[in-house]
Amino acid sequence: MEYLSSERILIVDLEAGEVSEYDLDEDLVAEKIGGAGITKALYEQYQEDEPIVLGAGLLTGTLYPASSLAVITARSPVTGKVCHAPVTYHAGIELKYAGFDYAVIKGRSDKPVYLWIHDGVADISDASELWGKNLWQTTDALRRTLGDDLIQVLAVGPAGEGGSDIAQVGVNYWSSGDRFGFGKLFGQKNLKGIALRGMGLLEIADPEAFVDAAFEVLSSIKNGASVGKKGVEDICAALGEGDVKDWLAPLVHRYSACYNTPYPSHTFVFLDADPKKRTDPGTDEPGFRVTDVEALLGFKKLGLSAEAACRLMKACAKQGVDAAAVAELSGKAGKTDAAAIEASLSSLTGTVFLPGRGIFSPWSPQQPLFGDFSISGDKGEWWERRMAVAYVFGIHPIFAVMAPELTEENLLEMSRIGTELELDREVLDIVVGDLLS
Amino acid sequence: MDLINHKGTATMGVNIDALKCIGCMACEMACGYHRDDGFAFLSACIVLYRGREKKNYFGVILKEEERLVVARPEGVEVKIIGASGDEDTSGEKKDEDASAKPMLLREPCDLCEEMKYGPMCVKVCPVDAITLES
Repeated sequence: MEYLSSERILIVDLEAGEVSEYDLDEDLVAEKIGGAGITKALYEQYQEDEPIVLGAGLLTGTLYPASSLAVITARSPVTGKVCHAPVTYHAGIELKYAGFDYAVIKGRSDKPVYLWIHDGVADISDASELWGKNLWQTTDALRRTLGDDLIQVLAVGPAGEGGSDIAQVGVNYWSSGDRFGFGKLFGQKNLKGIALRGMGLLEIADPEAFVDAAFEVLSSIKNGASVGKKGVEDICAALGEGDVKDWLAPLVHRYSACYNTPYPSHTFVFLDADPKKRTDPGTDEPGFRVTDVEALLGFKKLGLSAEAACRLMKACAKQGVDAAAVAELSGKAGKTDAAAIEASLSSLTGTVFLPGRGIFSPWSPQQPLFGDFSISGDKGEWWERRMAVAYVFGIHPIFAVMAPELTEENLLEMSRIGTELELDREVLDIVVGDLLS
Repeated sequence: MDLINHKGTATMGVNIDALKCIGCMACEMACGYHRDDGFAFLSACIVLYRGREKKNYFGVILKEEERLVVARPEGVEVKIIGASGDEDTSGEKKDEDASAKPMLLREPCDLCEEMKYGPMCVKVCPVDAITLES
Protein backbone atom coordinates (compact mmCIF):
# COMPACT_ATOMS: atom_id res chain seq x y z
CA MET A 1 0.00 0.00 0.00
CA GLU A 2 1.97 2.92 -1.35
CA TYR A 3 -0.02 5.99 -0.40
CA LEU A 4 -1.33 7.62 2.81
CA SER A 5 0.29 4.71 4.57
CA SER A 6 3.38 3.50 6.36
CA GLU A 7 2.90 0.31 4.31
CA ARG A 8 3.41 -2.03 7.24
CA ILE A 9 1.53 -4.11 9.80
CA LEU A 10 3.16 -4.94 13.13
CA ILE A 11 2.57 -8.25 14.88
CA VAL A 12 3.48 -8.43 18.55
CA ASP A 13 3.50 -11.83 20.23
CA LEU A 14 3.53 -11.10 23.94
CA GLU A 15 3.75 -14.76 24.89
CA ALA A 16 6.86 -15.39 22.80
CA GLY A 17 8.26 -11.93 23.43
CA GLU A 18 8.74 -11.45 19.70
CA VAL A 19 7.72 -8.91 17.08
CA SER A 20 7.40 -9.29 13.34
CA GLU A 21 5.93 -7.25 10.52
CA TYR A 22 4.57 -7.60 7.04
CA ASP A 23 3.50 -5.35 4.22
CA LEU A 24 0.06 -3.83 4.18
CA ASP A 25 -1.46 -5.38 1.08
CA GLU A 26 -3.16 -2.96 -1.29
CA ASP A 27 -5.86 -5.55 -1.91
CA LEU A 28 -6.79 -5.45 1.79
CA VAL A 29 -7.22 -1.67 1.60
CA ALA A 30 -9.23 -1.97 -1.61
CA GLU A 31 -11.56 -4.41 0.16
CA LYS A 32 -11.72 -2.98 3.72
CA ILE A 33 -10.58 0.65 3.19
CA GLY A 34 -8.91 1.16 6.58
CA GLY A 35 -9.38 1.92 10.27
CA ALA A 36 -12.00 -0.29 11.88
CA GLY A 37 -12.60 -2.00 8.54
CA ILE A 38 -9.12 -3.49 8.71
CA THR A 39 -8.71 -3.76 12.49
CA LYS A 40 -11.80 -5.96 12.58
CA ALA A 41 -10.46 -8.10 9.74
CA LEU A 42 -7.14 -8.45 11.58
CA TYR A 43 -8.98 -9.25 14.81
CA GLU A 44 -10.81 -12.08 13.05
CA GLN A 45 -7.61 -13.35 11.47
CA TYR A 46 -5.89 -13.62 14.86
CA GLN A 47 -8.93 -14.16 17.08
CA GLU A 48 -7.63 -17.40 18.61
CA ASP A 49 -4.96 -15.28 20.31
CA GLU A 50 -7.52 -12.81 21.71
CA PRO A 51 -5.67 -9.89 20.10
CA ILE A 52 -5.78 -6.19 20.71
CA VAL A 53 -5.61 -4.49 17.34
CA LEU A 54 -4.53 -0.89 17.03
CA GLY A 55 -5.00 0.83 13.70
CA ALA A 56 -5.17 4.12 11.83
CA GLY A 57 -7.87 5.23 9.43
CA LEU A 58 -7.16 5.60 5.73
CA LEU A 59 -7.06 9.41 6.03
CA THR A 60 -5.58 9.56 9.56
CA GLY A 61 -2.71 11.99 9.91
CA THR A 62 -3.34 13.90 6.69
CA LEU A 63 -4.48 17.43 5.94
CA TYR A 64 -8.07 16.27 5.66
CA PRO A 65 -9.98 18.07 8.44
CA ALA A 66 -10.42 16.09 11.68
CA SER A 67 -8.23 13.20 10.49
CA SER A 68 -7.06 12.56 14.05
CA LEU A 69 -8.52 9.15 14.83
CA ALA A 70 -6.98 5.78 15.46
CA VAL A 71 -8.92 2.83 16.81
CA ILE A 72 -8.41 0.02 19.31
CA THR A 73 -10.39 -3.04 18.29
CA ALA A 74 -10.73 -6.01 20.62
CA ARG A 75 -13.27 -8.23 22.31
CA SER A 76 -14.58 -6.42 25.36
CA PRO A 77 -13.83 -8.44 28.50
CA VAL A 78 -17.05 -6.97 29.88
CA THR A 79 -19.63 -7.33 27.11
CA GLY A 80 -18.02 -10.10 25.06
CA LYS A 81 -18.48 -8.11 21.86
CA VAL A 82 -15.80 -7.03 19.42
CA CYS A 83 -15.75 -3.26 19.96
CA HIS A 84 -13.91 -0.20 18.69
CA ALA A 85 -12.53 2.46 21.05
CA PRO A 86 -11.36 5.84 19.76
CA VAL A 87 -7.82 7.16 20.18
CA THR A 88 -7.56 10.89 19.52
CA TYR A 89 -5.67 13.92 20.95
CA HIS A 90 -2.27 13.87 19.22
CA ALA A 91 -1.91 10.15 19.82
CA GLY A 92 -4.20 8.93 17.04
CA ILE A 93 -1.79 9.87 14.29
CA GLU A 94 1.34 8.63 15.98
CA LEU A 95 1.17 4.91 15.09
CA LYS A 96 1.20 5.68 11.38
CA TYR A 97 4.07 8.14 11.71
CA ALA A 98 5.90 5.64 13.91
CA GLY A 99 5.99 3.29 10.95
CA PHE A 100 2.93 1.05 11.16
CA ASP A 101 -0.66 1.45 10.02
CA TYR A 102 -1.79 -1.46 12.20
CA ALA A 103 -0.47 -3.34 15.21
CA VAL A 104 -1.80 -6.73 16.28
CA ILE A 105 -0.93 -7.50 19.90
CA LYS A 106 -1.58 -11.14 20.66
CA GLY A 107 -1.08 -13.52 23.54
CA ARG A 108 -0.17 -12.74 27.13
CA SER A 109 3.17 -11.83 28.58
CA ASP A 110 4.28 -13.73 31.68
CA LYS A 111 5.59 -10.48 33.19
CA PRO A 112 4.64 -6.80 32.92
CA VAL A 113 5.80 -5.22 29.67
CA TYR A 114 5.24 -2.14 27.57
CA LEU A 115 5.60 -1.62 23.83
CA TRP A 116 7.81 1.10 22.45
CA ILE A 117 6.93 1.73 18.81
CA HIS A 118 9.12 4.33 17.16
CA ASP A 119 10.48 5.12 13.71
CA GLY A 120 9.69 1.74 12.23
CA VAL A 121 10.94 -0.24 15.23
CA ALA A 122 8.94 -2.02 17.93
CA ASP A 123 10.41 -3.16 21.22
CA ILE A 124 8.83 -5.20 24.01
CA SER A 125 10.31 -3.78 27.20
CA ASP A 126 10.20 -4.69 30.85
CA ALA A 127 7.51 -2.75 32.74
CA SER A 128 8.11 -4.11 36.23
CA GLU A 129 9.03 -0.62 37.48
CA LEU A 130 5.91 0.86 35.89
CA TRP A 131 3.50 -1.72 37.31
CA GLY A 132 1.48 -0.15 40.09
CA LYS A 133 1.99 3.39 38.86
CA ASN A 134 -0.98 5.51 37.96
CA LEU A 135 -1.49 6.87 34.45
CA TRP A 136 0.19 10.20 35.15
CA GLN A 137 3.22 8.59 36.74
CA THR A 138 3.41 6.08 33.89
CA THR A 139 3.35 8.75 31.19
CA ASP A 140 5.97 10.80 32.99
CA ALA A 141 8.19 7.76 33.52
CA LEU A 142 7.97 6.61 29.90
CA ARG A 143 8.75 10.07 28.54
CA ARG A 144 11.65 10.44 30.94
CA THR A 145 13.05 6.96 30.31
CA LEU A 146 12.71 7.17 26.55
CA GLY A 147 13.89 10.77 26.43
CA ASP A 148 11.15 12.53 24.53
CA ASP A 149 8.41 14.77 25.95
CA LEU A 150 6.26 14.30 22.88
CA ILE A 151 5.91 10.52 23.14
CA GLN A 152 2.26 9.55 23.02
CA VAL A 153 1.17 6.98 25.59
CA LEU A 154 -1.72 4.53 25.69
CA ALA A 155 -1.63 2.96 29.12
CA VAL A 156 -3.54 1.56 32.05
CA GLY A 157 -3.46 2.49 35.69
CA PRO A 158 -4.02 0.35 38.78
CA ALA A 159 -7.62 -0.32 37.69
CA GLY A 160 -6.49 -2.15 34.55
CA GLU A 161 -3.80 -4.05 36.40
CA GLY A 162 -6.33 -5.11 39.01
CA GLY A 163 -8.91 -6.38 36.53
CA SER A 164 -11.63 -3.79 37.02
CA ASP A 165 -14.54 -4.07 34.57
CA ILE A 166 -14.52 -0.28 34.20
CA ALA A 167 -10.78 0.00 33.61
CA GLN A 168 -9.90 2.20 30.69
CA VAL A 169 -6.94 2.62 28.36
CA GLY A 170 -6.00 6.26 28.91
CA VAL A 171 -4.18 8.55 26.52
CA ASN A 172 -1.17 10.33 28.05
CA TYR A 173 -2.62 11.86 31.24
CA TRP A 174 -6.20 11.95 30.10
CA SER A 175 -9.32 9.85 29.91
CA SER A 176 -10.37 8.31 26.63
CA GLY A 177 -13.46 7.01 24.87
CA ASP A 178 -12.75 3.43 25.97
CA ARG A 179 -16.08 2.33 27.40
CA PHE A 180 -15.40 -1.35 26.85
CA GLY A 181 -13.00 -2.29 29.66
CA PHE A 182 -10.02 -2.53 27.31
CA GLY A 183 -7.97 -1.40 30.30
CA LYS A 184 -8.81 -4.74 31.92
CA LEU A 185 -7.72 -6.50 28.74
CA PHE A 186 -4.34 -4.74 28.84
CA GLY A 187 -3.97 -5.83 32.45
CA GLN A 188 -4.86 -9.44 31.61
CA LYS A 189 -2.11 -9.44 29.02
CA ASN A 190 0.37 -7.88 31.46
CA LEU A 191 0.60 -5.00 29.00
CA LYS A 192 1.12 -1.77 30.92
CA GLY A 193 1.05 0.45 27.88
CA ILE A 194 2.16 1.46 24.43
CA ALA A 195 4.55 4.35 23.79
CA LEU A 196 4.42 5.84 20.31
CA ARG A 197 6.64 8.30 18.49
CA GLY A 198 7.59 8.63 14.85
CA MET A 199 8.63 11.05 12.18
CA GLY A 200 7.68 9.16 9.04
CA LEU A 201 6.43 10.50 5.73
CA LEU A 202 3.20 9.54 4.00
CA GLU A 203 3.24 9.73 0.20
CA ILE A 204 0.15 11.01 -1.62
CA ALA A 205 -0.92 9.75 -5.03
CA ASP A 206 -1.93 13.22 -6.22
CA PRO A 207 -0.63 15.68 -3.62
CA GLU A 208 -1.91 18.90 -5.14
CA ALA A 209 -5.39 17.59 -5.83
CA PHE A 210 -5.60 16.14 -2.33
CA VAL A 211 -4.65 19.38 -0.64
CA ASP A 212 -6.92 21.41 -2.92
CA ALA A 213 -9.86 19.19 -1.99
CA ALA A 214 -8.96 19.21 1.73
CA PHE A 215 -8.81 23.01 1.77
CA GLU A 216 -12.16 23.16 0.00
CA VAL A 217 -13.72 21.08 2.77
CA LEU A 218 -12.01 23.19 5.43
CA SER A 219 -13.40 26.35 3.84
CA SER A 220 -16.92 24.99 4.00
CA ILE A 221 -16.38 24.01 7.67
CA LYS A 222 -15.14 27.52 8.46
CA ASN A 223 -18.48 28.78 7.16
CA GLY A 224 -20.43 26.08 8.98
CA ALA A 225 -22.42 25.73 12.16
CA SER A 226 -19.55 24.84 14.51
CA VAL A 227 -17.68 28.12 13.98
CA GLY A 228 -17.25 30.16 17.16
CA LYS A 229 -18.23 27.28 19.41
CA LYS A 230 -15.76 25.55 21.69
CA GLY A 231 -15.19 23.09 24.44
CA VAL A 232 -17.36 20.57 26.20
CA GLU A 233 -19.68 23.40 27.24
CA ASP A 234 -21.04 24.08 23.75
CA ILE A 235 -21.40 20.36 23.15
CA CYS A 236 -23.44 20.15 26.36
CA ALA A 237 -25.54 23.12 25.22
CA ALA A 238 -26.29 21.33 21.95
CA LEU A 239 -27.44 18.37 24.04
CA GLY A 240 -29.86 20.60 25.95
CA GLU A 241 -27.58 21.16 28.96
CA GLY A 242 -26.95 24.87 28.49
CA ASP A 243 -26.29 25.61 32.15
CA VAL A 244 -23.01 23.71 32.07
CA LYS A 245 -21.31 26.79 30.66
CA ASP A 246 -21.92 28.98 33.73
CA TRP A 247 -21.33 26.04 36.08
CA LEU A 248 -17.88 25.35 34.65
CA ALA A 249 -16.88 28.91 33.75
CA PRO A 250 -14.94 29.84 36.95
CA LEU A 251 -12.52 26.97 36.31
CA VAL A 252 -11.94 27.28 32.58
CA HIS A 253 -8.38 27.98 31.53
CA ARG A 254 -8.05 27.37 27.78
CA TYR A 255 -9.41 25.24 24.93
CA SER A 256 -7.53 22.87 22.66
CA ALA A 257 -8.17 20.45 19.84
CA CYS A 258 -7.11 17.05 18.63
CA TYR A 259 -4.80 16.83 15.62
CA ASN A 260 -6.07 18.90 12.67
CA THR A 261 -9.56 19.02 14.14
CA PRO A 262 -11.28 22.37 13.59
CA TYR A 263 -13.30 22.21 16.81
CA PRO A 264 -11.49 22.57 20.17
CA SER A 265 -13.33 19.89 22.10
CA HIS A 266 -11.03 19.98 25.16
CA THR A 267 -11.86 22.32 28.00
CA PHE A 268 -8.89 22.59 30.31
CA VAL A 269 -9.84 23.52 33.86
CA PHE A 270 -7.46 24.79 36.51
CA LEU A 271 -8.16 23.34 39.96
CA ASP A 272 -4.96 24.25 41.78
CA ALA A 273 -3.90 27.42 39.97
CA ASP A 274 -5.53 30.63 38.80
CA PRO A 275 -7.46 29.83 35.58
CA LYS A 276 -6.93 33.37 34.37
CA LYS A 277 -3.18 33.02 34.44
CA ARG A 278 -1.75 32.77 30.93
CA THR A 279 1.88 32.35 31.88
CA ASP A 280 3.29 29.09 33.16
CA PRO A 281 1.05 28.23 36.15
CA GLY A 282 4.03 27.34 38.32
CA THR A 283 2.60 24.15 39.72
CA ASP A 284 3.19 20.92 37.83
CA GLU A 285 -0.39 19.67 37.90
CA PRO A 286 -2.70 22.70 37.84
CA GLY A 287 -5.78 20.96 36.56
CA PHE A 288 -7.40 18.58 34.14
CA ARG A 289 -8.33 18.33 30.47
CA VAL A 290 -12.07 17.70 30.30
CA THR A 291 -13.08 15.86 27.15
CA ASP A 292 -15.70 13.42 28.36
CA VAL A 293 -19.11 15.04 28.08
CA GLU A 294 -20.93 11.97 29.36
CA ALA A 295 -18.82 11.85 32.52
CA LEU A 296 -19.11 15.58 33.14
CA LEU A 297 -22.89 15.53 32.79
CA GLY A 298 -23.10 12.37 34.88
CA PHE A 299 -21.29 13.94 37.82
CA LYS A 300 -23.23 17.18 37.46
CA LYS A 301 -26.48 15.25 37.64
CA LEU A 302 -25.30 13.70 40.92
CA GLY A 303 -25.31 17.23 42.29
CA LEU A 304 -21.54 17.72 42.46
CA SER A 305 -19.95 21.12 42.10
CA ALA A 306 -17.95 21.74 38.95
CA GLU A 307 -14.74 21.58 40.94
CA ALA A 308 -15.69 18.32 42.63
CA ALA A 309 -16.72 16.81 39.30
CA CYS A 310 -13.45 17.81 37.64
CA ARG A 311 -11.34 16.59 40.55
CA LEU A 312 -13.18 13.28 40.38
CA MET A 313 -12.54 13.00 36.63
CA LYS A 314 -8.86 13.67 37.29
CA ALA A 315 -8.80 10.93 39.94
CA CYS A 316 -10.51 8.54 37.52
CA ALA A 317 -7.96 9.32 34.81
CA LYS A 318 -5.05 8.70 37.16
CA GLN A 319 -6.47 5.35 38.26
CA GLY A 320 -7.38 4.46 34.66
CA VAL A 321 -11.08 4.20 35.36
CA ASP A 322 -13.87 5.15 32.94
CA ALA A 323 -15.32 8.28 34.58
CA ALA A 324 -18.63 8.02 32.71
CA ALA A 325 -19.10 4.52 34.13
CA VAL A 326 -18.24 5.81 37.60
CA ALA A 327 -20.89 8.50 37.30
CA GLU A 328 -23.52 6.04 36.03
CA LEU A 329 -22.78 3.33 38.60
CA SER A 330 -22.53 5.81 41.46
CA GLY A 331 -25.91 7.21 40.48
CA LYS A 332 -27.44 3.73 40.46
CA ALA A 333 -25.96 3.09 43.91
CA GLY A 334 -27.28 6.38 45.25
CA LYS A 335 -23.79 7.75 45.93
CA THR A 336 -23.59 11.51 45.62
CA ASP A 337 -20.60 12.35 47.81
CA ALA A 338 -17.43 13.01 45.81
CA ALA A 339 -15.07 11.68 48.49
CA ALA A 340 -17.09 8.49 48.87
CA ILE A 341 -17.19 8.01 45.11
CA GLU A 342 -13.44 8.49 44.82
CA ALA A 343 -12.87 6.01 47.65
CA SER A 344 -14.94 3.44 45.75
CA LEU A 345 -13.07 3.65 42.42
CA SER A 346 -11.15 0.44 42.92
CA SER A 347 -14.20 -1.59 43.92
CA LEU A 348 -16.92 -0.15 41.70
CA THR A 349 -18.49 -2.69 39.37
CA GLY A 350 -21.62 -3.16 37.31
CA THR A 351 -23.07 -2.92 33.84
CA VAL A 352 -23.20 0.39 32.01
CA PHE A 353 -25.35 1.51 29.12
CA LEU A 354 -23.91 1.29 25.63
CA PRO A 355 -26.04 2.58 22.76
CA GLY A 356 -27.07 0.64 19.70
CA ARG A 357 -25.15 -2.53 19.04
CA GLY A 358 -22.71 -1.58 21.79
CA ILE A 359 -19.68 -1.60 19.51
CA PHE A 360 -18.93 2.13 19.21
CA SER A 361 -18.19 4.44 22.10
CA PRO A 362 -20.88 6.80 23.43
CA TRP A 363 -18.01 9.24 24.03
CA SER A 364 -19.43 10.66 20.79
CA PRO A 365 -22.94 12.03 21.36
CA GLN A 366 -25.65 10.06 19.59
CA GLN A 367 -27.14 13.00 17.75
CA PRO A 368 -26.08 15.85 15.49
CA LEU A 369 -24.57 18.67 17.56
CA PHE A 370 -24.48 21.84 15.51
CA GLY A 371 -24.79 21.06 11.82
CA ASP A 372 -27.90 19.95 9.95
CA PHE A 373 -27.49 16.39 8.73
CA SER A 374 -31.08 16.15 7.39
CA ILE A 375 -31.57 12.74 8.97
CA SER A 376 -34.54 10.99 7.45
CA GLY A 377 -34.51 7.67 9.27
CA ASP A 378 -33.78 6.36 12.73
CA LYS A 379 -31.32 8.59 14.63
CA GLY A 380 -29.63 5.61 16.29
CA GLU A 381 -29.02 3.94 12.94
CA TRP A 382 -27.70 7.24 11.60
CA TRP A 383 -25.24 7.54 14.51
CA GLU A 384 -23.90 4.02 14.19
CA ARG A 385 -23.34 4.40 10.45
CA ARG A 386 -21.70 7.78 11.07
CA MET A 387 -19.40 6.17 13.63
CA ALA A 388 -18.57 3.27 11.32
CA VAL A 389 -17.62 5.70 8.55
CA ALA A 390 -15.56 7.89 10.92
CA TYR A 391 -13.71 4.87 12.32
CA VAL A 392 -12.93 3.56 8.84
CA PHE A 393 -11.50 6.81 7.46
CA GLY A 394 -9.98 8.07 10.74
CA ILE A 395 -12.22 11.03 11.44
CA HIS A 396 -12.65 12.45 14.95
CA PRO A 397 -15.91 10.84 16.09
CA ILE A 398 -17.23 13.90 17.92
CA PHE A 399 -16.43 16.22 15.06
CA ALA A 400 -18.12 13.68 12.78
CA VAL A 401 -21.48 14.45 14.43
CA MET A 402 -20.83 18.21 14.19
CA ALA A 403 -19.82 18.61 10.58
CA PRO A 404 -22.16 17.53 7.78
CA GLU A 405 -19.53 18.94 5.42
CA LEU A 406 -17.63 15.68 5.89
CA THR A 407 -19.85 13.64 3.60
CA GLU A 408 -19.34 10.01 2.73
CA GLU A 409 -18.98 11.00 -0.92
CA ASN A 410 -16.24 13.46 -0.02
CA LEU A 411 -14.39 10.96 2.16
CA LEU A 412 -14.44 8.45 -0.69
CA GLU A 413 -13.28 11.06 -3.19
CA MET A 414 -10.40 12.07 -0.92
CA SER A 415 -9.44 8.43 -0.53
CA ARG A 416 -9.39 7.95 -4.30
CA ILE A 417 -7.30 11.08 -4.83
CA GLY A 418 -4.93 10.13 -2.07
CA THR A 419 -4.44 6.46 -2.98
CA GLU A 420 -5.50 5.93 -6.62
CA LEU A 421 -7.61 3.01 -5.39
CA GLU A 422 -11.12 2.58 -6.80
CA LEU A 423 -12.94 3.04 -3.54
CA ASP A 424 -16.62 3.68 -4.10
CA ARG A 425 -19.93 3.60 -2.29
CA GLU A 426 -20.40 -0.09 -2.98
CA VAL A 427 -17.16 -0.89 -1.14
CA LEU A 428 -18.03 1.45 1.73
CA ASP A 429 -21.48 -0.06 2.12
CA ILE A 430 -19.98 -3.53 2.36
CA VAL A 431 -17.39 -2.41 4.93
CA VAL A 432 -19.97 -0.58 7.04
CA GLY A 433 -22.37 -3.50 6.74
CA ASP A 434 -19.67 -5.86 7.99
CA LEU A 435 -18.88 -3.60 10.96
CA LEU A 436 -22.53 -3.35 11.91
CA SER A 437 -23.34 -7.03 11.38
CA MET B 1 21.23 34.66 21.23
CA ASP B 2 19.64 37.98 22.19
CA LEU B 3 16.12 38.22 23.39
CA ILE B 4 13.94 41.05 22.24
CA ASN B 5 10.81 41.67 24.22
CA HIS B 6 8.39 41.79 21.41
CA LYS B 7 4.89 42.03 22.73
CA GLY B 8 2.44 41.87 19.86
CA THR B 9 2.50 39.59 16.92
CA ALA B 10 4.43 41.23 14.10
CA THR B 11 6.94 39.05 12.31
CA MET B 12 8.32 39.37 8.79
CA GLY B 13 5.04 38.34 7.22
CA VAL B 14 3.12 35.93 9.40
CA ASN B 15 1.36 36.92 12.59
CA ILE B 16 0.74 34.35 15.31
CA ASP B 17 -1.77 34.81 18.08
CA ALA B 18 -0.94 32.08 20.59
CA LEU B 19 -4.06 32.74 22.63
CA LYS B 20 -6.26 32.04 19.62
CA CYS B 21 -4.33 28.85 18.85
CA ILE B 22 -6.14 25.61 19.67
CA GLY B 23 -3.05 23.45 19.34
CA CYS B 24 -4.26 21.28 16.47
CA MET B 25 -0.91 21.10 14.64
CA ALA B 26 -2.52 21.66 11.24
CA CYS B 27 0.02 24.45 10.57
CA GLU B 28 2.88 22.09 11.31
CA MET B 29 1.56 19.47 8.92
CA ALA B 30 0.81 22.02 6.19
CA CYS B 31 4.36 23.36 6.46
CA GLY B 32 5.73 19.84 6.33
CA TYR B 33 3.70 19.18 3.20
CA HIS B 34 5.17 22.30 1.61
CA ARG B 35 8.66 21.02 2.31
CA ASP B 36 8.26 17.34 1.49
CA ASP B 37 5.33 17.10 -0.94
CA GLY B 38 3.92 14.45 1.37
CA PHE B 39 2.56 14.35 4.89
CA ALA B 40 5.37 14.67 7.43
CA PHE B 41 6.41 16.82 10.37
CA LEU B 42 10.18 16.66 10.41
CA SER B 43 10.89 19.54 8.03
CA ALA B 44 8.25 22.01 9.21
CA CYS B 45 9.61 25.43 10.17
CA ILE B 46 6.50 26.17 12.20
CA VAL B 47 5.74 23.81 15.07
CA LEU B 48 3.30 23.57 17.91
CA TYR B 49 5.17 23.83 21.17
CA ARG B 50 3.45 21.26 23.38
CA GLY B 51 6.09 20.13 25.80
CA ARG B 52 4.21 21.14 28.94
CA GLU B 53 1.08 19.09 28.42
CA LYS B 54 -0.01 18.77 32.06
CA LYS B 55 0.09 22.54 32.42
CA ASN B 56 -1.93 23.16 29.27
CA TYR B 57 0.84 25.53 28.22
CA PHE B 58 1.22 25.57 24.46
CA GLY B 59 2.23 27.94 21.73
CA VAL B 60 3.83 28.13 18.30
CA ILE B 61 7.47 28.44 17.22
CA LEU B 62 8.39 29.76 13.78
CA LYS B 63 11.86 29.73 12.33
CA GLU B 64 12.61 32.63 10.03
CA GLU B 65 15.82 33.46 8.17
CA GLU B 66 17.57 35.13 11.07
CA ARG B 67 15.03 34.95 13.87
CA LEU B 68 13.13 32.49 15.94
CA VAL B 69 9.60 33.65 16.72
CA VAL B 70 8.23 32.07 19.89
CA ALA B 71 4.52 32.80 20.29
CA ARG B 72 3.65 31.97 23.87
CA PRO B 73 0.33 32.54 25.64
CA GLU B 74 1.81 35.58 27.37
CA GLY B 75 3.05 37.17 24.16
CA VAL B 76 5.44 36.88 21.26
CA GLU B 77 9.19 36.83 21.70
CA VAL B 78 11.63 37.18 18.83
CA LYS B 79 15.10 35.77 19.23
CA ILE B 80 17.90 36.76 16.90
CA ILE B 81 19.67 33.61 15.82
CA GLY B 82 23.36 33.61 16.55
CA ALA B 83 23.49 37.06 18.10
CA SER B 84 24.97 35.61 21.25
CA GLY B 85 24.85 32.34 23.13
CA ASP B 86 26.06 29.56 20.91
CA GLU B 87 24.18 26.61 22.28
CA ASP B 88 21.26 27.50 20.02
CA THR B 89 23.20 27.36 16.77
CA SER B 90 24.72 24.02 17.73
CA GLY B 91 21.38 22.32 17.24
CA GLU B 92 20.97 21.48 20.88
CA LYS B 93 17.33 21.24 21.87
CA LYS B 94 16.03 24.05 24.04
CA ASP B 95 13.38 23.61 26.67
CA GLU B 96 10.67 25.19 24.57
CA ASP B 97 11.73 23.24 21.51
CA ALA B 98 10.27 19.84 22.22
CA SER B 99 10.32 18.73 18.60
CA ALA B 100 12.33 15.73 17.42
CA LYS B 101 14.52 17.89 15.21
CA PRO B 102 15.70 21.18 16.74
CA MET B 103 14.19 24.20 15.06
CA LEU B 104 17.53 25.77 14.33
CA LEU B 105 18.46 22.83 12.10
CA ARG B 106 15.41 23.36 9.90
CA GLU B 107 15.00 25.45 6.77
CA PRO B 108 13.67 28.94 7.53
CA CYS B 109 10.21 30.10 6.53
CA ASP B 110 10.02 31.19 2.89
CA LEU B 111 6.34 32.20 3.15
CA CYS B 112 5.58 29.27 0.82
CA GLU B 113 6.54 31.56 -2.02
CA GLU B 114 5.91 29.03 -4.78
CA MET B 115 2.61 27.76 -3.36
CA LYS B 116 -0.55 29.03 -4.96
CA TYR B 117 -2.23 29.47 -1.57
CA GLY B 118 0.55 31.57 -0.10
CA PRO B 119 1.66 30.56 3.39
CA MET B 120 0.11 27.15 3.99
CA CYS B 121 0.01 27.65 7.76
CA VAL B 122 -2.22 30.68 7.28
CA LYS B 123 -4.48 28.82 4.88
CA VAL B 124 -4.92 25.76 7.08
CA CYS B 125 -5.44 27.36 10.50
CA PRO B 126 -9.07 26.64 11.43
CA VAL B 127 -9.34 29.52 13.90
CA ASP B 128 -7.26 32.18 12.09
CA ALA B 129 -4.62 32.24 14.81
CA ILE B 130 -2.04 32.58 12.04
CA THR B 131 -2.58 35.46 9.65
CA LEU B 132 -0.64 37.37 7.04
CA GLU B 133 0.81 40.66 8.10
CA SER B 134 -1.01 43.39 6.25
